[in-house]
Amino acid sequence: MYFSDLGVIALILALGFALYTVVASVLGAVRSAPQLVQSAKRSLLAVTFFLLLASAALVLSFLTHDFGVGYVAQHSSRAMPWYFTTAAFYGGQEGSLLYWALMLSIFSAIFVFTSKRAPAALVPYVMATLMATEAFFVIVLTSVSNPFARSPIIPADGAGLNPLLMDPGMLVHPPMLLMGYMSFALPYAFAVAAMITGNLSSEWLRSIRRWTLAAWTIQTTGLILGAWWAYHVLGWGGYWGWDPVENAALLPWLTATAFLHSTMVQERRGMLKVWNLFLIIASFALSIFGTFEVRSGVISSVHSFAYSDIGEYYLVFLVIVIVFSSALFLWRLPQLRPEQEFDSVISREGVFLLNNLLLIGMTFATLWGTLFPLISAFVRGQTMTVGPPFYNQVVSPLIAVLIVAMGVGPLLAWRRTSRSALWRNLSVPAILAALCAVVLPIFGVIDIAANIGFSVCAFSAGAILYELWRGARVRHSHGEPYLVALYMLFNRYRQRYGGYLVHLGLVLLIVGVIGSHYFQQQRDAVLKPGQDTNIAGYRLTYLGNIDTKESDKETITAQLQVWSNGQLQSYIYPGRITYHNYGDQPASLIPINTFGFTDLYVVLTDWNGAAQATIRIFVNPLVSLVWYGGVLMLIGGVICWWPERRRTLAAARSAAKPDVAVGAGIADGGVVV
Amino acid sequence: MSDERIVKGSWRQRRSLFVLLAALALLAAVWFWLAFAVPRQQTLDQHVKNVASQLRCPVCQGESVADSPALLAQQMRQVIREQLQAGRSDQDIVQYFASRYGEQNVVWSPPRQGFTLLAWIVPIALVAGGVVFLFFVLRDWQASSVPVGAPGPAAVSTKPHRQNDHEEEGTSEDSALEYYRAQIEHELAADDPLFRRYETEAK
Repeated sequence: MYFSDLGVIALILALGFALYTVVASVLGAVRSAPQLVQSAKRSLLAVTFFLLLASAALVLSFLTHDFGVGYVAQHSSRAMPWYFTTAAFYGGQEGSLLYWALMLSIFSAIFVFTSKRAPAALVPYVMATLMATEAFFVIVLTSVSNPFARSPIIPADGAGLNPLLMDPGMLVHPPMLLMGYMSFALPYAFAVAAMITGNLSSEWLRSIRRWTLAAWTIQTTGLILGAWWAYHVLGWGGYWGWDPVENAALLPWLTATAFLHSTMVQERRGMLKVWNLFLIIASFALSIFGTFEVRSGVISSVHSFAYSDIGEYYLVFLVIVIVFSSALFLWRLPQLRPEQEFDSVISREGVFLLNNLLLIGMTFATLWGTLFPLISAFVRGQTMTVGPPFYNQVVSPLIAVLIVAMGVGPLLAWRRTSRSALWRNLSVPAILAALCAVVLPIFGVIDIAANIGFSVCAFSAGAILYELWRGARVRHSHGEPYLVALYMLFNRYRQRYGGYLVHLGLVLLIVGVIGSHYFQQQRDAVLKPGQDTNIAGYRLTYLGNIDTKESDKETITAQLQVWSNGQLQSYIYPGRITYHNYGDQPASLIPINTFGFTDLYVVLTDWNGAAQATIRIFVNPLVSLVWYGGVLMLIGGVICWWPERRRTLAAARSAAKPDVAVGAGIADGGVVV
Repeated sequence: MSDERIVKGSWRQRRSLFVLLAALALLAAVWFWLAFAVPRQQTLDQHVKNVASQLRCPVCQGESVADSPALLAQQMRQVIREQLQAGRSDQDIVQYFASRYGEQNVVWSPPRQGFTLLAWIVPIALVAGGVVFLFFVLRDWQASSVPVGAPGPAAVSTKPHRQNDHEEEGTSEDSALEYYRAQIEHELAADDPLFRRYETEAK
């Protein structure tokens, strides 16, 4: 018996238990039989166990080089190091599906373990939704896309992994992004449960918010890692190309971001219930759409490593999700009434509405651009490409307004704000922005778009830092040293100050994007040994080429010296690796030297024998800020998500009752003097 | 509260409004100056890159002519350089490549005419429609929520805890405001050991 046989058995058992969980939990809820619900919980854990078993079987098949399994033969070879062999688990269509299913079951198990915190009436329906989704994936896994399928002829060695995937990024980015896509299933399950039971209490809101926050943080990490990986591997000097696959990962992130903001309005004011449900359903549908798009090859993309014919299954699933959710939604709609009325446009609620409008605008523009080639092909029979220039022009203005709103929002109070306080609080960041706009041209930044972008970022960063400073000053005036005061702010009001950290991270990221987009320099040079080329104050001296042949690949690198300020900084070796199994897909070795926030990025584009090289050099200013900003967003997300102590929680709950409108202003840490 | 303090307070309010307006005016002036007065200085290299990034490399996977290392892209960049030196406009050059390689192969963003204009108009129309929709919805909500005879939003400042300096809040001697402040301090004391300590110390 092979490990693969064990895998097949485990998958079939997982499917059985998943279906049982759906039936048992729904029956348990309808007949209010707690034993059935308890049984469903145990059966859900059994699903997790069997999927873990199936995954272990696949990993073991890889590690034992069982090339009788078609999937193993196609995605690994004996020469690969053990970590890439393990990572090849999710390197293709079937394995990534198994990974998806595994992660969904693990998250479901975490839900079961923490289900005491969720409203009891919702638990069975959440489990049923999760396991129905799980059942879909396991059905696909056991029928059309089985990773354990064996072929009669056993090859001596496998084909190896796609060269672009043979990179450390492979170990972190795909698992994160797939987990991110998957994790939108949990908020969706909560939404479905709420629509079925009609329970949209504040406990429900808290649960769904926490799961969405987790999903958002994971997806943020996945996106940033993806950008970082593309930057290090693809060799075009950039990190985001508005490729359909990248867009697909961005779409649910945008709607989840909108949800995280608008639920605060629901938490505080009991408004926007319908809209929030819509956003959650949209996030899940978009994440399924993204997976469908990547698989189906309907829209051509750079990053699709997993084309297959199971696209239509996803399409069917997507249609089911949309129809089912819409039906529930319409059925529940008459009972969803806002608890309170809107007071003033100039209020926190007002800015959140603007935030939602902008995020939805971006989502739609991105989706529209992604689908437009299809629409064009359908309507006039001619396909076309929609590339970065389109997205840059449509999305950038929306981002600029969003960043301004991000600065203004925290300065506004719930319900309505006194104008005079608003003017005073706005004037500090506005002065900063004006200073920034005036100073930048002096340093030679005369591009209007860049100037607007930087000034807007200065405004928003100024507003956030001013808010932090005011909070710290209030606590300082009550006898705390400034550092302790700052720590206490973050410790006591995690959601609010974690949110500020995310905002600061986004501002940093945008500054990095503006810097590397508008001020990137690029030079192509054909060099012979001893010749050098200059760019932006750096001098590169070419020494020669090195050719290394190994059993499975050939590596050609050019050796160059990097000089800056008359001093030798380092030797760099841009190169090209050609794997024998993937002769037409060479991978680049790209040395990236970071000086301050500026990257010197060198790509070997061509060579001739041992003594001539064509290199392409990019100088990317401020690009490091993209990564720092991303890390800051991640930290902020984790701070927001981190569980609060029970005492604080109870206090926040009692204060968050919407009838005490002013008290509600404090619950998230409104600084009061 | 004396009349003098009210005058002083309202002047301070106005001062911060003036500062804000001055900063915004400065921003507008700088941007206006950058947009219209500063000549667009771009070197030939930058100009070539600008045009090339508007074009998709026909033989590559999702790369622009500016980014691609492919031979064809290199030749196309050379052609762009020659045509720019010959004084042709960006639009002409894009048109030239579109007619040569086929619109769907090289044009990277949908042309703003005919059917492909939809690609641009629909998202913009949607956002504009959203703004209008929000405007009407908010107006309705507001109209239904302000009871007859109640003071309008401008006259009320219900959020005293946003202010750092009470002194600057000229109109803050409202009985409602005092009530809110007491309530806030009460809740804070219940919630926060630090403030509770402060309260007991004050006693």
